[in-house]
Amino acid sequence: MDVSLNWLRELCPFEASPQVAASALTSRGLTVDSVTAVGGDTRFEIDIPANRPDCLGHRGLARELSAALGVPLAADVQPVKAGGAEVASAIDVRIDDPDLCGRYTARIVREVRVEPSPAWVVERLQVCGIRSINNVVDTSNLVMLETGNPIHFFDLPTVADGQIVVRRAGVKEILTTLDGQERRLDEEMLVIADGRRGIALAGVMGGAETEIGEQTRVVLIEAAWFLPNSIRRTTRRTGLSTDASHRFERGVDPEGVRAAQDMAVRLLVELAGGVADKSWVDVYPAASEPRHLELRAGEIRRLLGYSPSTAESLEALSALGLQPSGGPDSIEVTIPSWRVDLEREADLVEEVARHLAYDRIPTSLAGLPVVESASVQRDRGELARDLLSTQGFHEAYGYAMIEAGEDDRFVEAGLNPPTALTHPIVETMAVLRRSILPGLLRATDFNQRHGTRDVRLFEVGRVFHPGGAKFPAEPLRVGIVWSGRSRPAHWGESDRDVQWFDLIGLVETTLDGIAPGYRPLRETGGLPAHHPGLAVHWSAAGVPVAWAGALHPELQAELPYPVWLAEIDLDRLPGSTSEVPQYSPLPKLGAVERDIAVVLPLGSVWHDVHEALLAVPAPAPVRIDAIDRYEGKPLPTGSSAVTVRVRLQPDQSSLTDDKIEAYRLKLLACLTGPLGLKIRGEAP
Amino acid sequence: MQSTLERIEREFDTALASAGTDSKAVDQVRVRYLGRKGEITALMKQLRELPGDQRKQAGQAVNRLKQAVQARLETALEAAATARQETILATEQSDLTLPAMQSWRGSLHPVTQTRRELESVFRNLGFTIEDGPEVEDDFHNFQALNMPPDHPARDATDTFYLEDGNVLRTHTSPVQIRTMETRKPPIKMVCPGRVYRRDLDATHLPMFHQLEALVVGETVTMADLKGTLEALWGGFYGSEIRMRLRPGYFPFVEPGCEYDISCRVCDGAGCRVCKQSGWIELGGAGMVHPAVFEAVDIDPARYSGFAFGLGIDRIAMMRHGIDDLRLLLENDVRFLGQFPGVS
Repeated sequence: MDVSLNWLRELCPFEASPQVAASALTSRGLTVDSVTAVGGDTRFEIDIPANRPDCLGHRGLARELSAALGVPLAADVQPVKAGGAEVASAIDVRIDDPDLCGRYTARIVREVRVEPSPAWVVERLQVCGIRSINNVVDTSNLVMLETGNPIHFFDLPTVADGQIVVRRAGVKEILTTLDGQERRLDEEMLVIADGRRGIALAGVMGGAETEIGEQTRVVLIEAAWFLPNSIRRTTRRTGLSTDASHRFERGVDPEGVRAAQDMAVRLLVELAGGVADKSWVDVYPAASEPRHLELRAGEIRRLLGYSPSTAESLEALSALGLQPSGGPDSIEVTIPSWRVDLEREADLVEEVARHLAYDRIPTSLAGLPVVESASVQRDRGELARDLLSTQGFHEAYGYAMIEAGEDDRFVEAGLNPPTALTHPIVETMAVLRRSILPGLLRATDFNQRHGTRDVRLFEVGRVFHPGGAKFPAEPLRVGIVWSGRSRPAHWGESDRDVQWFDLIGLVETTLDGIAPGYRPLRETGGLPAHHPGLAVHWSAAGVPVAWAGALHPELQAELPYPVWLAEIDLDRLPGSTSEVPQYSPLPKLGAVERDIAVVLPLGSVWHDVHEALLAVPAPAPVRIDAIDRYEGKPLPTGSSAVTVRVRLQPDQSSLTDDKIEAYRLKLLACLTGPLGLKIRGEAP
Repeated sequence: MQSTLERIEREFDTALASAGTDSKAVDQVRVRYLGRKGEITALMKQLRELPGDQRKQAGQAVNRLKQAVQARLETALEAAATARQETILATEQSDLTLPAMQSWRGSLHPVTQTRRELESVFRNLGFTIEDGPEVEDDFHNFQALNMPPDHPARDATDTFYLEDGNVLRTHTSPVQIRTMETRKPPIKMVCPGRVYRRDLDATHLPMFHQLEALVVGETVTMADLKGTLEALWGGFYGSEIRMRLRPGYFPFVEPGCEYDISCRVCDGAGCRVCKQSGWIELGGAGMVHPAVFEAVDIDPARYSGFAFGLGIDRIAMMRHGIDDLRLLLENDVRFLGQFPGVS
């Protein structure tokens, strides 16, 4: 809020400089963001917290300054003498919904002349960031800016039957507001109506038909208190927020309504030559007794960690107008009607702490409890970050929100549609991602188009899978993209772009790093966004845990350089065991190796071949690996000749050549027999 | 016999000389004279055919020759080995000042690095690290935090609502609520994570990163809040810093405050970094509001607690001198590669 320093000085005649006043307000929680000289005045731009509607007027800020600087407030200006007639029946006010309107006052000022405001009004409003309109409209703004209580003026002759009814709007009731907008209302909104129709959206904006115009001579002043929640709902539903609604929805002072009306009368008399009726209407169904709260010295100590003296506490409370009594252990205070934020003892502790300054609070660690650390297990996401960053990948951060449809090809079949945002900020952030990959693909596109061909990125993050439950599942996933070379360029090796075995190796190394010894089954076939002939997935007990492969040619066509991508579902991996690995003795005997070259036709599955070979009874513990691969003539397309290395590691006694050869022949028989494969370089 | 031996010795010396320092040629000479079919071996075999008195004398002569030949062969082999080493040393050289073969260098995101730094300070202070969902319901994101529907403080958090009736959490505070729901005091935790607000301009992104701390116990005061903030930032920056609390309003704390630390660039004297104030604003804090305790069934008369928050992105930007927030989510590898830390 923009505040006039001169105005503050009128309400609280302090001598302090603008800087001193500004820092006093800031140190009390009313942060002055800027101090600017404007003509002969100074503008404070103040950030008023949502719980301090009393400070949305100069009077409330003056109260804080009075407490801070120890300067008493100026005496209230006496209400002007009403010169007009005693006309009690000129207006009739009825509140149909007292739950939404706790107080409504109405008063009439006649013989008003609508004219430009005098210079001091124009200047004052300007400091407060408001443009002067005329002496009547300006009056309502001055009242709001001083008291914090918004008021409204009706052009009385346009109010039908001299009647004011405060009621809920009818279903689909329509009201044209001051800004010329036709607004469709509903029964949750409060309207001010006359004998025939709605004439104002209560607490938010007046209606066009009863607006003050240049010809206005008789003004009806409305000063009222509306239920904050009701005003807030109305502004939310209509999307219409005004200076008035901003105050009403935070809670104005119900007792301040009269003072606001008085000030309006005074200004209309002073500025517009008006004559006020002697009587007014005050319907006050919600009138209540002042509230009292107890503040115990022990509670101050328990929350702040130090004990102010009783005198200090009493002084702090009375400076803020809380009328403290009693002590030393317990102080009773009376809450002023404008302090809607003070509801509990803790609120009073803050008032004392604020007044004595937060710098008084000592520094300690003595009250901190000791807690048992819940888990020593390393978070899987953190492990994945370490593994991938040390293997040369850069960690990316992607939005959880993506464009609708963007992830359709990156998810497993049968997954529910994504959760949509009700009001996305941009169309490219409309739904919650179900896969990390669309964001990484976007980043890859960005990088490639900025001239970076070697793109290695990963992201660890949550994806959102709606199910039947109240909340979507939020599995933690790792996405990986890789384009460009497999290794940095060097003359020691010819340049090679990333291939399937680079990516798949990276995924398997990562899986093993996160869950050591876990070897899920790798099979052909990835996600729909993958190249069908160059993609795989890993699964355990039929549940896929990871996918990897080349980008589908259709998607690849839009990118400059070939892209490989993989995703791992970290939540589907087994938890790391707390078992400590146990030592097994090192072999004392030498190992024996034999190589077999076998032709694998298109469609054969290495995993099956490997399992079959391992099932052949071996004369010693054995390890079988594919160590080399040949493709090309004379082999048919899609076939490959794979060199299988069999390594026998005897642990008891060394192996005879006969035994080794017998075992090798059994392996050959297994390959050519049940598996029906051809052996290369071996007599049939 | 004697002449035969002399001839053999002469021929051996000639052969050995022509073999030079070639270890293979030297070995061929060895085979020629001392191998199974070698000349000296043959002489040894012939000895058996000589009569007894000659045999002894001839035997000694052949043996002397054999030993002499063996010694010369050894010397020649050693010379050959030395020569080979010299050849290796003379020929096997390269310009090792040229670039070597490297592995790819990866990196952790600067926000991850800063989060980990902060977490390690908290771990040293005995805090646990907690996690929670990013899709939250109104209760955990607002109501339990003393923000009932229509509370004006909801204005400050422009919320992303979801079609399933939930929200994207606007702060990490719901993790505090979930922790207090499932665990009884004492509690000493931090919760880092992604949060979402409907805001997009030069200084706001709709997704950013917060870290909040919560301590609940029977003797926790605002003095402990101040002490903890001092320990945290002293530990993080590894230097003496001063703390300042200013009154501030957050619905879930009472008394509430904002906290500043002394500017590390000017040590409080005032500079461009701290906008001449000498202080850097870091976040909000306060004593847990009794209404929050009531929402999670913790007795506010018995327990007290404090909470505070900070923006990880901003700390990371200050730490690395990053001046454009948007870089953090653009994923430009030319940017990410500038922070090669991996731990």
